[in-house]
Amino acid sequence: MNAVVQLAILETKMFFRDRLSVFWTFLFPVVMIWLFGSMFVGNEMNGLTFAEQFVPSWIGVNIVTTSFFTLGTVLAGYRETGVLRRYHSTPLQPWKILAAHTVQGTVIFFFSAVLLMVFGMWMYGLSLPEYIGSTLLALVISILAFFPFALFLTSLAKNTQAAAAISSLFLNVMLFLSGATFPIAFMPEALQFVAKLLPLYYVINLLRGTWNEAPISSYGVEVGILLGISVVSIILASRFFRWSGK
Amino acid sequence: MELVIKVEGVSKKYGSMFAVKGLSFAVKKGEIFGIIGPNGAGKTTTLEMLEGILKPNSGTIDVLGYVPTKQLRALNKRIGVQFQSTSIQKKMKVKEALQLFASFYDGPSQKDHLIELLGLHEKLNVNFEDLSGGWKQRVTLALATIHQPEILFLDEPSMGLDPHARREMWSLIERLRKQGCTIVITTHYMEEAEKLCDRVAMIYHGELKALDTPQQLLNRSVSKNLTFESHQLKIKDIETIPGVIRAEENDGLFHVFCKNQQETAYHIFRICHEREIFLSNFYFEKGTLDDLFVHYLEEEVVQ
Repeated sequence: MNAVVQLAILETKMFFRDRLSVFWTFLFPVVMIWLFGSMFVGNEMNGLTFAEQFVPSWIGVNIVTTSFFTLGTVLAGYRETGVLRRYHSTPLQPWKILAAHTVQGTVIFFFSAVLLMVFGMWMYGLSLPEYIGSTLLALVISILAFFPFALFLTSLAKNTQAAAAISSLFLNVMLFLSGATFPIAFMPEALQFVAKLLPLYYVINLLRGTWNEAPISSYGVEVGILLGISVVSIILASRFFRWSGK
Repeated sequence: MELVIKVEGVSKKYGSMFAVKGLSFAVKKGEIFGIIGPNGAGKTTTLEMLEGILKPNSGTIDVLGYVPTKQLRALNKRIGVQFQSTSIQKKMKVKEALQLFASFYDGPSQKDHLIELLGLHEKLNVNFEDLSGGWKQRVTLALATIHQPEILFLDEPSMGLDPHARREMWSLIERLRKQGCTIVITTHYMEEAEKLCDRVAMIYHGELKALDTPQQLLNRSVSKNLTFESHQLKIKDIETIPGVIRAEENDGLFHVFCKNQQETAYHIFRICHEREIFLSNFYFEKGTLDDLFVHYLEEEVVQ
């Protein structure tokens, strides 16, 4: 257990030593909210203010960026440069590596979510989540679904570039089709159908819903689908864990 | 003598190419065992099979009583590994790396002792990416030995080091051996094998060519040679002497490889005496592992 704690603490420290990743993780979403805010603020949609719509969804998007970039692409890099290969010749088991990186990702995501929320409260008069316990639970379920999902997908990449390409593809598709940026109701029916195939769609429904409308018990379908993705991804990620790119 | 590694008839294929073919040897407890050979000879493949990272296509390997690929975790608790070119996280500080790797093992760590032994004090707060090649090697050596392994595998530990750093690396390896560690090392520096290793296995094209102490290898006929200076003697005079394997001449300096030094010397002196040719600086030389190395390599080319 000591190894998991050590590794998680170290990886978190090293994340903050890399200025570029700090910018993309923490400042980029804030800038995006601010940009969208300058366009949409004042227009109510489905009875929700701009911030009530966008802040929970961008917190959802942050789960995606954390899981694909902070976790997936970094581990793909470790696979390429031999960091994981070096671990392979120690008694450290794969699940401990995945667990440590999951803890690290959760900590970093937590900071970015708080930052977005505080920014929303300060700039756009957002209030704390209506059902705060439900929102926290929704975040945990979303993390459990997305982290292993991204870790598995990026482990299929041969090198860091390929992992980054996979990550960018998923991020962009989900960004535009899952309702985070454009309301789904405005899309043609075919795209609405595609949106429902994307895991982020359910994360955003869950976060927006528990933030503004109802406790998590009203979102059985979303919770069920995300837990399903979680179980399958955890099995795949640990079953197909690879120590080196070869 | 207790054997800690037993390798019998091991082969490893990549596609239809043999990287290692029918290799057999054993390593004794407490020795420094060298694996030498040219680039691409199969040294790293051999090492990685011993470490349990690669699975041989045929043959058996026993390391500390384990089958490496099957009992990898148990084996990894008792061995230490330094790879040729793996890296640890770039932005990790030296002291963090030591602490992290110490947490991977159950037993006591010799972290503080290693900091002392390897002189790491001044670099503890430096990120791994900012270290020079020599310091990186020291740090990865420390990580490989932090849990006091019974066998230490070093893949080209002095590659890219300057001669001074290389000598320091040798004395560190010597000291680790004095602590009771068995060391298996690959190298293509013959000097390293000669000075450091108790026994040396020479591998060419994945096959074992020779296995002995450096001293015994040097005593082999092929590496015996004579050197002398003469400005009148012709190289074809030497080449026709019975027992001469090869002769080289460079600006009057002769280098003669032969089966029997005394007999060849007799013939050279006889020829010079008969023709009243002046000879100087005549030496009996033992040759170096370099000569042997090149000899085997040339043999390959001829075949």
